[in-house]
Amino acid sequence: MGSIFNKLLTLGPSVFVVKAIIAAIVGDILFVASILVRRAYRKRYFRKLDERVSWVRRNWESLLSGEIPFEAWRWNSFDRGIIEQLVLDRFETGDPKESARLLRFLRESGLVEKRIFEARHHHGWRRWRALVALGRTRAPEGVPALAEALRDRKLENRQAALRGLGQMGSPKAAEEILAWMVEAGPRMASLPVQNALINCSRECPQILLPYLEQADAPVREILARVMGEVATPSLEGDLIGLAGDELPELRAAAARAMSSAQPHHAVEVLTELSRDPVWFVRLRAVVALGKLRNALATPAILEALTDANRLIRMRAGEALVAQPGEMAPIFARATAQRDRYGLYAYFAALENAGLRPKLEVELQQDRTMTEPERSELLQVLANGKLSDLPTATDFADGILPVARG
Amino acid sequence: MIPFLNATNHALFIYYLVCNLIYLVTLIVAFKTSAAHQRRLESWRLRWIQQSPLTAPISILVPAHNEESSIRVGINNLLDLDYPEFEVIVINDGSEDRTLAVLQEEFDLRPARAVYVQEVQSAPVRGLYRSGRDPRLLVIDKEAGGSKADAVNAGLNAATSPYVCVVDSDSVLEKDSLLRIMLPVMSDPERVVGVGGIVRVLNGSEIEGRQLRRVRLPRKGIEIIQVIEYLRAFLIGREGWAQGNMLLIISGAFGLFRTDLIRAIGGYRSRAIGEDFDLVLRLHRHLRDKGMDYRIQFVPDPVCWTEVPSDMRSLARQRARWQKGLLDALWPNRDMLFRRRYGRIGWLALPYLWVFELLAPVIELGGMVTILLAAWLGVLSEHFFIQFMLYGYAFATMISIGSVLQEEITYKRYNDSLDVFKLVSFCFLEHFPYRQIHLFWRLQGLWQYFRGDVSWRPMKRQGLQSSEM
Repeated sequence: MGSIFNKLLTLGPSVFVVKAIIAAIVGDILFVASILVRRAYRKRYFRKLDERVSWVRRNWESLLSGEIPFEAWRWNSFDRGIIEQLVLDRFETGDPKESARLLRFLRESGLVEKRIFEARHHHGWRRWRALVALGRTRAPEGVPALAEALRDRKLENRQAALRGLGQMGSPKAAEEILAWMVEAGPRMASLPVQNALINCSRECPQILLPYLEQADAPVREILARVMGEVATPSLEGDLIGLAGDELPELRAAAARAMSSAQPHHAVEVLTELSRDPVWFVRLRAVVALGKLRNALATPAILEALTDANRLIRMRAGEALVAQPGEMAPIFARATAQRDRYGLYAYFAALENAGLRPKLEVELQQDRTMTEPERSELLQVLANGKLSDLPTATDFADGILPVARG
Repeated sequence: MIPFLNATNHALFIYYLVCNLIYLVTLIVAFKTSAAHQRRLESWRLRWIQQSPLTAPISILVPAHNEESSIRVGINNLLDLDYPEFEVIVINDGSEDRTLAVLQEEFDLRPARAVYVQEVQSAPVRGLYRSGRDPRLLVIDKEAGGSKADAVNAGLNAATSPYVCVVDSDSVLEKDSLLRIMLPVMSDPERVVGVGGIVRVLNGSEIEGRQLRRVRLPRKGIEIIQVIEYLRAFLIGREGWAQGNMLLIISGAFGLFRTDLIRAIGGYRSRAIGEDFDLVLRLHRHLRDKGMDYRIQFVPDPVCWTEVPSDMRSLARQRARWQKGLLDALWPNRDMLFRRRYGRIGWLALPYLWVFELLAPVIELGGMVTILLAAWLGVLSEHFFIQFMLYGYAFATMISIGSVLQEEITYKRYNDSLDVFKLVSFCFLEHFPYRQIHLFWRLQGLWQYFRGDVSWRPMKRQGLQSSEM
């Protein structure tokens, strides 16, 4: 009886298929073997991991204080990985005092130095891994290494560096990101850049101003959105300047940021922006007017309730419902505009906020309006749409003289 | 006759080789992509998305037709998701059972106003309701439109967020699914216009309260085979094709899209049978016509668990419908084939679907006939025939086991060793005799389509049962 290979060789033209069968069967066996081996390996790995994690947790204080010398675990990559991971996880949930203690430990044990070295000298995934860890340490000395990685050829590494800088949350990190953006232009999608900058410039938003004024249009657009999130009342003057910018994104950002300004200054600018030709500038202005929670903003929001854009009408409705003070006069004004789409948006917001019964009670108890006016408004409220009866404009005009001014 | 049979058999041989080569390439690409995705996840913290003021709101659209048995758990599960800002829009598509009543009881529905603008076509709306218990829930009660597409369109008209996520009402999402499906968008919002998540088989697993408590393999063989099919389709097929930006199917059970673009292409095609596939295909066409730089991506870890048919009859109907849906979407878009404007979609993805998905049952049936004929006429080498069958079986099994391995390496949802043993065992059964039965269902689907039978037949379901609710 000849060997199986001799038999296969005699198959002639079909030998190709036989080879394919063998390859496929070997593939089947290999895959099944991989599953089994992996299961066995994981079982062993997790047993060891559990054992070491448990040891680390038992000796946590001794490790952190240096009672157990750093050299005892630093050279063992398995233990080092576990300790670093646990420290970084605690870092994210700990209070400032605990975070300071953990950062001191990371420095003293040399883990920060090690990551900085790796971030500077390694390539590919190893660099990426170092950048991720370095960002999580929030150690300020890691900023230069992360900033260098912003110039990496690999997008993955640039993203890791950017997120790392974002986690630092310091103006120094913001400066590095801004310098990189001006130097290279936005070489990444805008959202990760904006998120990082928001974290870093929250404490010191004025850091953005020179770049907002001088950078190229694409960079300015990205920064404008950041400014919209981090602006403080102290930047009011600069924001008014931005409100007149030629870039709609900047005007929208200025509108967003104005919600944190003093109402008597902001209302005028925001009213102007709520009439902007670009819809998203108007939308931002209306949302900001709503956030001011000030009666001075009411006329502009009422005007926005008749906007051609449904999103703006919706936001205007929500803003009106959230306005402080009595609801009846505002409802009367909204009705007086005789705009059924606007009134629909107002009703939608009213019902979503569950304030319909409150408005009804207010209308019934209001002593300043005449009986026909009250009856009409109650009818509109009950039907949810405009009637053909005379409008309540006069009544509304009388109620909101300051706001209209 | 004999030269013809020889030529046909040769063509069939080449067809199989090319098909297997494509499977092999997608398997390798999927292994590589998954590994990279796993590493990339290490640098992401889902908390960042949750805390970022720039995270875009999402409207979750849930079409429901006669879903009284699962709607309660399904919607509670959605309202419980981790995401900073989202709304759930349930579209009751003319249900004849107690779907609306169950919603009213559970969520304290009250007639409400919402900005509903008929931007895309759908059947008339009878009423809008908002939940008194959770204002994020809006219910649209509409007349039956005869298709899921029509119901989703109604939801699209009421959606107020820049992204819509379409979810089946009988599906259960994992708590962080929305955060995970938004990862590609957060990384590149300018280009990413659609993202598909993975859909897995719910049968056999345990639900507690609003969440999946324990993942187990279903008991019935027919369900286990579907687990393998889903793993192969998502972890290998979609992962592989998405890598080249050629993803043509985002499952209707769980997919995220940019709202403005879906509206721009007129929403879902109301009469579409495979509305999910049809939508993605039209989206590709629209974006390529406009010359836009875009990405439609697949993310393998935001998991949606869904119930699959547990009896042969329902499975046969589902597969026939999928085949009809494929033809129904491919035929109107046939002009995209081999056109420069549509790039790799027209030159690779669509030809693949035509030849190796749509026509596969016809070609396989034709192959069987010619092989039998050749055997009868005595022109077929018995040796060769057996070897070829063996090869086909071993290779197809390898791809199936590859998908189980991929699951093991990456996401490892089936922890029980017995479950994995069963999965691997069923990989050997999948290609004989299940594949041949499946072939028959697909042929049935094509036949029904040509006869004009495009009606939707309901699937027999257990419904989502929670041990707590």
